[in-house]
Amino acid sequence: MPPDSSDLLQGTLELLVLKALSLAPLHGWGIGHRIDQLSRNAFRVQQGSLYPALQRMLRKGWIRSEWRTTENHRRARYYLLTRAGRKQLEAETEAWERASGAINGILKTRPSEHPA
Amino acid sequence: MSLLTDLGERLKALVFRRRQERELQEEFLFHVERETAERIRLGAAPEAARREARLAFGGVEQYKEAVRDARGIRPLEDLGADLRYAVRSLRRNPGFSATVVLVLGLGLGASTAVFSIMDSVVLAELPYPDPGGLVVVSEKNSPTNIWNISTADAVAIREQQRSFSAWGEVSRMEAALSGAGTPEHVILGRVSAGFFKALGVPAARGRLIEERDEAAEAAAVLVVSHRLAEEKLGGPARALGRSLTLDGVSHEVVGVLPPGRTDMGGVRAAAWTTLKLPAPVRRGPFWLRGVARLKEGVTLDMAAADLAGISARILPLWNDFRDSVARLTPAPLRERIVGRADRQVGLFAGGVLLVLLLAITNVATLVLVRASAREPEVAMRVMLGASRGRIARLLLTENLLLTMMAGALGLLLAWLGLKLAVAQLPDLPRIQNAALDWRAVSVALAAALAAGVLVSLSPIAGGGGEIGRSPARADTRRTGAGRRSNAVRSALVTVEFALALPLLVMAGLLLNSFVRLSRVDPGFDPYGVVATRIALPAAGYPGDSERARFWIQVEQRLGQMPGVDGSGLASDIPPDSPGTNNFNLVDHPVPTGQSEPTTPWYEATPGYFEAMGIPLLDGRMFTPADTVDPVVIVSRAWARRYFPNQRAVGRQLISGGCYDCPRTTIIGVVGDVKNLGLAQSEEAVYDPIGPALARSLQVVVRSNAGTGASLRALRELVHGLDPDLPVRESVIAERFDDTLDDPRRWTAVLGAFAAVGTSLAALGIFGLMSYVVRQRRREIGVRLALGAQPGMVTRFVIARGMRYAAAGSAAGLVVTLLAVGRLRTLLFEVSPTDLMTIGAVAVLLLGVALVACWLPGRRAARIKPLEAISTE
Repeated sequence: MPPDSSDLLQGTLELLVLKALSLAPLHGWGIGHRIDQLSRNAFRVQQGSLYPALQRMLRKGWIRSEWRTTENHRRARYYLLTRAGRKQLEAETEAWERASGAINGILKTRPSEHPA
Repeated sequence: MSLLTDLGERLKALVFRRRQERELQEEFLFHVERETAERIRLGAAPEAARREARLAFGGVEQYKEAVRDARGIRPLEDLGADLRYAVRSLRRNPGFSATVVLVLGLGLGASTAVFSIMDSVVLAELPYPDPGGLVVVSEKNSPTNIWNISTADAVAIREQQRSFSAWGEVSRMEAALSGAGTPEHVILGRVSAGFFKALGVPAARGRLIEERDEAAEAAAVLVVSHRLAEEKLGGPARALGRSLTLDGVSHEVVGVLPPGRTDMGGVRAAAWTTLKLPAPVRRGPFWLRGVARLKEGVTLDMAAADLAGISARILPLWNDFRDSVARLTPAPLRERIVGRADRQVGLFAGGVLLVLLLAITNVATLVLVRASAREPEVAMRVMLGASRGRIARLLLTENLLLTMMAGALGLLLAWLGLKLAVAQLPDLPRIQNAALDWRAVSVALAAALAAGVLVSLSPIAGGGGEIGRSPARADTRRTGAGRRSNAVRSALVTVEFALALPLLVMAGLLLNSFVRLSRVDPGFDPYGVVATRIALPAAGYPGDSERARFWIQVEQRLGQMPGVDGSGLASDIPPDSPGTNNFNLVDHPVPTGQSEPTTPWYEATPGYFEAMGIPLLDGRMFTPADTVDPVVIVSRAWARRYFPNQRAVGRQLISGGCYDCPRTTIIGVVGDVKNLGLAQSEEAVYDPIGPALARSLQVVVRSNAGTGASLRALRELVHGLDPDLPVRESVIAERFDDTLDDPRRWTAVLGAFAAVGTSLAALGIFGLMSYVVRQRRREIGVRLALGAQPGMVTRFVIARGMRYAAAGSAAGLVVTLLAVGRLRTLLFEVSPTDLMTIGAVAVLLLGVALVACWLPGRRAARIKPLEAISTE
């Protein structure tokens, strides 16, 4: 995979994780599951690749982790959005919307509107 | 904020590494189980669900690595692993590790100590504000003939100078401090107010000498050193207002200097009092040191021109001094203080640098030999996939660990060495300030670091083959090490000899010089001679008659002491430096306007020559009548210099430039005495002690009663006459021995360096030849099996080793001849290129090398052919 597209993917993955966690604290599997649900299986990545991304986000201070008990009484590591993470999500969402709006505008341009 | 969390997470990762690994494992397991459960819930068979869940997750180990990388402590973890590995491998080889640490630690310790000494003695700024502007003013008529200035000079400079923002004079004297316990001698600095002003150091308490103290009627005041305040006055806080009696005069303490200020402007004194300059009556005598601070923007050259103008203007005013070449000359204070120490410390530093380089070279050799012994291990690692860079880093870590340990040892040794040096070399200026400060510590650690890198370069670069060598050739026992690494090893050993030879030559020359110095005939018989200096305070002995009465009584009582073979008085005794005086020969006057010759000048009674055992060679001794017409006795060396091949007795001279005084007649010639210390000239002129008897004289006694008894009798004699007089006895033979102390120390230090250097070189060549023998064991075995004589094998090994030793020594000889001229001033009657010394030293070094090569050579000859061939 060329590095630039992986960077893009990584950035996107982080945004998706932030979005997933903004709704509720989740463990690793839960995050993957939630992203699948939200994206209707559009992002097919290996599930393990989630964990290095989580570790990076921990270091950036966007999320924190704690060990909790699941509804099935199992011990699992849950990830929570921090205040910095919430800000990051807002900033990235806004940036994403601006960018996607611009791109959408470009893509919807009809040939006649193109400046000669 | 996020930087902090980042750091925090990394730190956590580092500290809780094991727990995190466990949790990572648990987290992954949970994930797969949860996925399996999900798939079962959606209808998959348990077995298939588990497999699919694993597939969906991906490579567990691969993602674990990715998470570890994301923790951001990878480089540190690697370093930790390298360190653990290094410690393990060094522990496996304790002999090697200890040798390296010891050898390098010694080298680093010595050089760190010397760095600290150089730093405080030579390099450090003088401890005054803006020290570059401080100058000392002296009279000078040739580059080497420099002397003090006179009252007339000082007064003229005060009135006419335009170069200095502050100007002062200082004169050092001894004074009897009484009133507080036993009377004792202290060194007193007499200074004008400008002296302290020029130096710019404020008093810690009270005030310094000020201009109002210089008025003729002003009360006697005293500024004391911090130490004197502590020892005699109950601490600086209580010193002010107290009074101390110096030479019978009461002085009020008005100020205390800051702690550690034992010398001011290069003059060491316990206390400072006012110098009240009398109006000059003639140009001489020259007894003051001028200290000044240059005005802003005034250079040394400008000040020199200013002072030269003053010299020219005052020359015609006085008729007792006609030297038109002599100039008042400013010199930087630093130059006057550091002076000769530059060269001594330079020699010291050169020696230490050689030892350090030798130590590093030696360690490099050791590391190289070890690197090749480890070749199979390294090859195995390469085969298992370690990269060249990784292995180089491993070796570097190991070497750095070693050299850093050596650095720590070195610091400890430097600390001890400094204590020793401060105690052993008290005459080096400013050595008291030498201490291990942070700069010395960083120099030591930087040197250790550099040594580690240098040492690692040898196996990494020099023997490149040893690291990246293809695993197929790992069995070096059969193939032998690469040519290149052998060349590096031999080059290192050659360098060691090139470094050791200069060290040995230096030590050899100093030793030779020392032996000659200690064999010098002092010109008299010092055994059984004791002396004491007595200074009569002005208060108790105000006039000539009181002093004369005292000295006459001393002479009388000396004659009655039991066991005395001779006794007398003199102004100075060997090996002290006496005063000097200028003179002009009536028969051969110097041309007008030229400098008159100067010579050491003593005052003595006839009994002095008898007591010292100085023979009268020609003419007659002083008689009591000689105090009327001026007469002198001269030494044989003086007579030979000024009246070569002629009789000096009966000739006349004009003394001290006093052209109006009656002419002085030479009445006798006495034997030469090494008056100024053993290495100095023997020229001397003796005046009879005249009616104006001196305030301070040496009382000399030759006795067969034993030195202890004579000293006691002498002290009782003086105290019988005046119990307040401080007595400072000396045994002349000891005093002469003391003058050998300095050369003895330098010789010992350089000798120790040379011994260490030679041992290192010997160790180096021994190691190399042992390695060569081990490496070629099989070949030697084959040769022996084919009938080679064991002697031939030994000779072959020795010849090969001696080639390196000889080449190194030859290179060292070239280095020595280039650099050794700098030793000249430290040597006595030995040329720096003395062939005997250099030859003897070279033979010694090669002899040591021969033994060092012979040992492995003998081992080679004893190789059992069958074993050597079959065990491979």
